[in-house]
Amino acid sequence: MTAHRILIVDDELDFGTTLAERLELRGFAAKAVGGAQEAMAVLAADWRPDVVLLDLMMPGIDGLAALDLIKQHDPKIQVIILTGHGSTESGIIGMQRGLFDYLMKPVDIGELITRINEAGAK
Amino acid sequence: MIKSKFPLFCGPSSRDLSPKARYRCMRNSLLIVMLAITLIPLSITSGLNFIQYQQLLREDSHANARWNAESARATISAYLEKLEAAITVVIDSYAFEDLSDSKKLEQIFKQLKKEHQGLVDLSVVGPDGIQSAYVGPYGGLVGKDYSDSLWFHKALTRRMYVSEVFTGFRNVPHFVVAASKKDPYSEQYWVLRASIDTETLDRFLALADTEALEDIFLINDSGKLQSASRYHGGAMDDFQLTRKPKQNDILIFEEMRGDSSFYRAVSRIQNTPWLLVLDQQGAEARKIWHSFKARLLLTLTLCFLASGGMVVWLSRFLAGKFREADETRDAILSETEHSNKLASIGRLAAGVAHEINNPLAIIGEKAGLMQDLVGLDQNFSHREKFLDQLGSLQNAVVRARTITHRLLGFARRMETSLTLVQLNEILQEVLSFLEKDAAYRNIHVILQLQENLPVIRADHGQLQQVFLNVINNAIDAIRNDGEIHITSRRENNKTVMVAISDTGPGIAPDVLKNIFEPFFTTKGNEEKKGTGLGLSITYGLVQKMGGKIEVSSEVGVGTTFIITFPVYSEGSEGESNDRA
Repeated sequence: MTAHRILIVDDELDFGTTLAERLELRGFAAKAVGGAQEAMAVLAADWRPDVVLLDLMMPGIDGLAALDLIKQHDPKIQVIILTGHGSTESGIIGMQRGLFDYLMKPVDIGELITRINEAGAK
Repeated sequence: MIKSKFPLFCGPSSRDLSPKARYRCMRNSLLIVMLAITLIPLSITSGLNFIQYQQLLREDSHANARWNAESARATISAYLEKLEAAITVVIDSYAFEDLSDSKKLEQIFKQLKKEHQGLVDLSVVGPDGIQSAYVGPYGGLVGKDYSDSLWFHKALTRRMYVSEVFTGFRNVPHFVVAASKKDPYSEQYWVLRASIDTETLDRFLALADTEALEDIFLINDSGKLQSASRYHGGAMDDFQLTRKPKQNDILIFEEMRGDSSFYRAVSRIQNTPWLLVLDQQGAEARKIWHSFKARLLLTLTLCFLASGGMVVWLSRFLAGKFREADETRDAILSETEHSNKLASIGRLAAGVAHEINNPLAIIGEKAGLMQDLVGLDQNFSHREKFLDQLGSLQNAVVRARTITHRLLGFARRMETSLTLVQLNEILQEVLSFLEKDAAYRNIHVILQLQENLPVIRADHGQLQQVFLNVINNAIDAIRNDGEIHITSRRENNKTVMVAISDTGPGIAPDVLKNIFEPFFTTKGNEEKKGTGLGLSITYGLVQKMGGKIEVSSEVGVGTTFIITFPVYSEGSEGESNDRA
């Protein structure tokens, strides 16, 4: 299995960095950023992730807007929303805009990796 | 509402009454008011009818008595006039000397007697009052001196005179008709006199007798009977007349005999000293009046019974309807209150769950990282204890996550939020709740769900409730051993439908037409009594989401509920929002 590149976009940086560290321990290349603008900067700097783990409620650009920006940048990048503020409606809207999956925090690491692998394989 | 509307009958303490007593009180109030409204006018109308008919009969009795009295008076007058005319002819045709001849007088008497009933004798009385000739059964009366007799003096002073009834020398009640004439030679008045038996009067009066007539007789001004009376004795007996008419009037008034009343008509007979008295039964005593009273009583009783019955039924019906309306209102209020409460709890729960999820995720990831690091370091002192502790920490996170996710699920059910949903998914979710119950009762659920069914815009939780109610009802209907077929398919470009059929006993047509009515339940005899709200709520929810629910059933075969929803499309979004 190829180690996928994962970009974690979450204003709770403490969460993002910890999760990135855990993913790296599992062989993934992971980066954590605190917002959509930083994420776009990472993409612009030519670090192309296979999968983006995206929070929904963030100051400035929210998750769904960030999803549009990422998909505009590279439609092949798979996005999984990982949020504590989830609602079915936002999930459905996301799905319509090319979202791969929608997961609620806190998530089991095993389940998360399964979904990442599925997304990466797409 | 009731206690304020019926304070009069329920009293000021009605607010302390139990609901059952309040409705009973309201029913009684309605009963009293409606009985008063219907029966008082009925009684008044009947009373007026009674009085009016009595008045009519009284007038009829008056008219009848007047007619009978007039008729009897005319009969007596005609008889007397005829006799007076005959006597006038005789006295005008003959001189005193001619008639003093007994043979001539007898010849005339015989002629008169043929034409005039009751004529007893005929006599000629000279100006001195001495009877000069006599024809009749009392032969010894010739030479009798009548100079002191009242009738003789009256006859002399009048051309024609009809006497009162008297006994005279012969001691038998009779009356006389006497005519006087002036002798051209002596220039003195002499008298031709005819005596008539009072039985003649009785016979004429008897002609007027009818069924309603109680008595008819003649009296004079001093109250002596001039003919025989049924109740007051024979001629010459005394009689007390309370009121007398003026001249030719017929006086009619009411009199009492024993307990019964009757009408008395009194009239004078012209050119005689007599008063005709006629007693006649009132119409009230007659058959027609009794029959009217019986019919009136019967009609009134029937009307009372019919109105009473109707009023009792109506008051019960109305009180029942009021009670039903109040109960519906209370149930709706309670349902709304309950829904509001749950919605508030839902909003609170959602807020709490969202806020907790983020720190919980940090705890989970931190603990996870620590587990990873400790797990990788084989030389870490207290490694096992750390891993054990971190495992417990992760378990606590999982527990907390289960709770927050459950809270969010609950919140989603409570909020009326329209989202895009897949009917098949909802059906599967609902079945996951019910499949154990169905399996336990040996009920097979057969699914025919069309794949790639278009999404609809509806409330997830409420849609779950709709299918839960209908499928639950199907399970209850079958009880044990049977099948439930659940089919979903796209009907056309605009609608999707779900059909839920059971192999239960079916629903009778009269029950079927009320099945979506609130508080209508058929689960009354079973262990768990239905509220009668399930299908009513289901109906309301389906309508609210822009859908339609229909039911068809055949007794002995089963029941099918068909629920259709409009397919979601971009253009219909606004419409759906409006409906929500």
